[in-house]
Amino acid sequence: MFAAILAASIALVITIAVILGVIVFVHNRKDGSINVKKPVNAIRSVGVHSTLSETAKRAATDAVARDAAHPSANAQPSGGLKSRFWAMGVLVAAVFGTLTAKLWSMQILEKSAYATESEENQFATVYTPAPRGRILDAGGVAIVGNRLSRTILADPDVADKPDVVGRLSAVLGIPRNVVRTRIQDASEGAQSQRVVASDARMRDVAFIAEHSDAFPGVTVQQRTVRDYPYGALAAHVVGYTGAVIDSDLENVQEGRDLQPNDVVGRAGVEYVYDNLLAGDHGERKVMADAKGNVVEVVSETQPAMGSDIRLTIEAPVQSVCDEALAKLIAPNGVIGTGTGTAGAAVIMDVRDGGILAMASYPPYAPALFTGSVDQELLDVYDTDESHHPLLNRATQGLYPAASTYKAFTGLAALEYGFADTSRTWTCTGEWDGWNTGAPQKCWLKTGHGTLDFRSGIVNSCDTVFYDIAYQFYENSDKVGETAMQDYLKKYRFGEETGIDLGGEAVGRVPTPEWKAEAFRDQPEEAGWLGGDLTNMVIGQGYVQVTPLQIAVAYGAIATGSLMRPHVLKDVVNTNGDVVVAFEPEVMGTPDVPMKNLSVVRDALRGVTVENAEIAQQFSDRGIDPATVACKTGTAEFGDGDDYAWFACYAPFDDPKYVMACIVEEGGGGSATGAPLGAELMAAALDYDEGKLKDIAKIPGSSGTSVPYTGSSSGRTD
Amino acid sequence: MASLPQISSLKSASGAPRRGRERRFGWINVPFVAVVAALVSYGLLVVYSAVSVDPDYSFSRQLAGVAAGVVLMAVVWRLDYRRLGEFTNVFLIINVVLILLPHIPGLGTDAGMGAKSWINVGMQVQPGEFAKITVILLDASVVARYGGKLEDAGEYLKALGYILVPFACIMTQPDLGTGLVYLFIGAVALVVGGARPKYLLITLAAGIVAIMCVFAVDEAIKSSTGEYKLLKQYQRNRLFVFLNQDSADLSSEGYNLKQAQIAIGSGGLFGKGLFQGTQHSLGLLPEAPTDFIFCVLAEELGFVGALVLLALYLALILISFRIAMASNDLFGMVIVMCIIGMWLFQILENIGMDCGLMPITGIPLPFVSYGSSFMVVNFVLLGLIGSVWSHNATMKR
Repeated sequence: MFAAILAASIALVITIAVILGVIVFVHNRKDGSINVKKPVNAIRSVGVHSTLSETAKRAATDAVARDAAHPSANAQPSGGLKSRFWAMGVLVAAVFGTLTAKLWSMQILEKSAYATESEENQFATVYTPAPRGRILDAGGVAIVGNRLSRTILADPDVADKPDVVGRLSAVLGIPRNVVRTRIQDASEGAQSQRVVASDARMRDVAFIAEHSDAFPGVTVQQRTVRDYPYGALAAHVVGYTGAVIDSDLENVQEGRDLQPNDVVGRAGVEYVYDNLLAGDHGERKVMADAKGNVVEVVSETQPAMGSDIRLTIEAPVQSVCDEALAKLIAPNGVIGTGTGTAGAAVIMDVRDGGILAMASYPPYAPALFTGSVDQELLDVYDTDESHHPLLNRATQGLYPAASTYKAFTGLAALEYGFADTSRTWTCTGEWDGWNTGAPQKCWLKTGHGTLDFRSGIVNSCDTVFYDIAYQFYENSDKVGETAMQDYLKKYRFGEETGIDLGGEAVGRVPTPEWKAEAFRDQPEEAGWLGGDLTNMVIGQGYVQVTPLQIAVAYGAIATGSLMRPHVLKDVVNTNGDVVVAFEPEVMGTPDVPMKNLSVVRDALRGVTVENAEIAQQFSDRGIDPATVACKTGTAEFGDGDDYAWFACYAPFDDPKYVMACIVEEGGGGSATGAPLGAELMAAALDYDEGKLKDIAKIPGSSGTSVPYTGSSSGRTD
Repeated sequence: MASLPQISSLKSASGAPRRGRERRFGWINVPFVAVVAALVSYGLLVVYSAVSVDPDYSFSRQLAGVAAGVVLMAVVWRLDYRRLGEFTNVFLIINVVLILLPHIPGLGTDAGMGAKSWINVGMQVQPGEFAKITVILLDASVVARYGGKLEDAGEYLKALGYILVPFACIMTQPDLGTGLVYLFIGAVALVVGGARPKYLLITLAAGIVAIMCVFAVDEAIKSSTGEYKLLKQYQRNRLFVFLNQDSADLSSEGYNLKQAQIAIGSGGLFGKGLFQGTQHSLGLLPEAPTDFIFCVLAEELGFVGALVLLALYLALILISFRIAMASNDLFGMVIVMCIIGMWLFQILENIGMDCGLMPITGIPLPFVSYGSSFMVVNFVLLGLIGSVWSHNATMKR
């Protein structure tokens, strides 16, 4: 304020001075302080003569005559020229006034804006990336860590220097065109240096350093990169990172300080908890000249590593899951040589919703996204032959629920009185309740004979459930057209489970409304039929679920409560203190009478106990079958082999873990699903008893497969 | 050429009373010299700061220019300017020769700036700068012949013709900036020399039409040959940047203007302190010691420092104004007024372009900008003013 007033007064003084100056001159003239005033007639005569004179001779004569007459008179300006002096005076005043006003506006009124720009001109802030926090398993084992990588970087213009490219190629043993392509890759930003090689050998680095003259524009940096000591272990949970791209910088999450050259989470925990994992940049404020040379380092702060994320994942259990799927599907490391072509498994603690293990096969090694991204492999992963390793089938794979659905449609039947413990059904192997002449078949074509509701679940008899669906359909005017669907939705089918991994698929509980919308363009197919309901009741037709949804729903049968599944246990800062801990969340408690729940739980235990093959699988692994409730499923899907489902929870009386797994084209649920599921549940229970400790290094998928001939197991639901 | 009337005052020059010899240095106008000394010292201070970070410039060369200028000023001061009045044609010839010198193969050079404005005589010299002296003398000697009333259309055109010759010559280099200075000097000479306002307005209108014709013809040339021929691309860029200051891209021309404005604006009231200017010391101001010297001053000494400079200019101009008005003859008066006009134009253009008020041209700031040629020229002009003052006895106290 003071400054403004002072400046205003100075400007005022200047303006007044200009005006005064002009006035003084005019005044002086009036005063006659300029002594000699030329007679006006002399001026006039000069003017007249010279304007009239046409020839030099006449002009000269006039001049001589005039000079003779008025020896002292000359061309001294007269009052006639006064206006011209005024004009000059005004011009002077205008020029100085304008300049002063403009300077006033720039230097006083807009000073702060220019000062900011000047500041920005002088100072540049150079950000040093902070190491990301580690990702640990529940026991503190680092599934994702950090390591230093000797990275060879080159300025973008090195690509145009064939001699340098040639030398780099020779030293690093990378083909010329690959070196050039990597230098031309602007994905890390147009200005930034390009990664030529990560994890360079010490002697290559030393060679380049010693011959720096031969490598202009090439630098070696120690970069902190993600390290995966267990390879692809829990790959789909931890996710992967990637270099910042322009679109990231345009939509930065609140609270996240994102700079070009940073690394951001792209999938899984890395993506969801990016904010916590990312540390604080080191900031080096430097004064730089117009050419970008650093003149002075003004201030410097060290980067602060991000917080560690501790997962609910138990690495030893996870390791068993990953290995078991690999062993089953690709015993030789190639898909197509084992049983099934892909698969997923998830084990959840039913008490708090914590995920112990989540596996999806084929897996990828997250390391392929660090350093110079292995684009070739990523291209392979895009093909159908690779079976899409980047897909997390546990949360993103959509499958018909098949017979695993029967636990829930059974509960619905009990609820509406379309089934009870006293009622019996007769299964002949086929059912034609709709009188279409094309009967629907039970999986056991010879028929189950007469059975009650419990046996219907234990034997997974389709006929029993066809009849249940029939009753729902026939009584739709009483119970409502979507009574069964509404009941299924209590268990959160067709809805996100809310797991903290992102990109979750929601699945589908088909309704008449949905069908009308889905078949909008084929009105003749859009009507809701009884057959849609008999398909749905056995988890077929338009039903879609994810393995995680099955696990969460079976957990709700085990405990009565739907727990929100989660992988975050807590967040540990660099001092080792827990700063945030995940609070278990009950998403809902389906309103189911305990009586009905007990019937279904007992029936599910019957599946384990009364199916000799399944009971054998558990007892082989030291688990009393009577402590396990389970359900198999065999989904008919696409043209290939059936998909094998298995879901179970244990211990029966005091449930701790629920497990759901699926093997694509794995064949029957009891033949393929049950052995896998039993092994995984055993792993969880063994770990609980402290018997499981080993963690294997899991290889990422090569992306190759051979044509699959099928499981040849037939349907053994 | 002899058709111009003789300058009337010259005949009686010897008869004028001379009372300037009372004291040994009585011929020195003390306030005038004091203001000049303050202005030159102030300018040297700023130039010192500007060149201290740039090894391409030499402060001692600037000092040498001042020294040479002082000597020349003293010599010219002692000469009787009235003797120069009859050499109209000589001035015309000197002008044409000087300005066309750079066209001589082997001698002329464009110094990498695009226009053939320099000659190489051991060092690079801009004859167009030196021609400013003879342009002023030429214009003054032409209009002084009409005794303050230039009312005949034919005579007006004749005078205009004389005045336009140096402009036409300099446009062959081409150096539009210096050409505009010549035109402005000519305009002042015509105004002060008593040309009828009607003629002046018609001339102005004709000039505007001529400029529009140049653009139109250039446009036509482009449509037939595919490129502009009359106006150079850099001239178009400067004009574009001037007209679109907010949207101009921040490279080259727009960048220069932007950085100049940041330097001035960030100076604030008192500036960042002498030698503390960051814009020029970090190399953000191109040509800081020459074309953008005012930015250095405004950045380091602030609004107050800029006003001090403006005040010194104003004092110099007012004192010169007084000398002009007290002059006994029209020739002397027009000389001084033309010099004032030249300074005024260069001050307006140089400071104005830094502020974004005027398009960017390479016109130096009198007494401040680095460059010994222009420094010497200014001292010679000071000498001329001094000569007018000391040879008009009536002004002396």
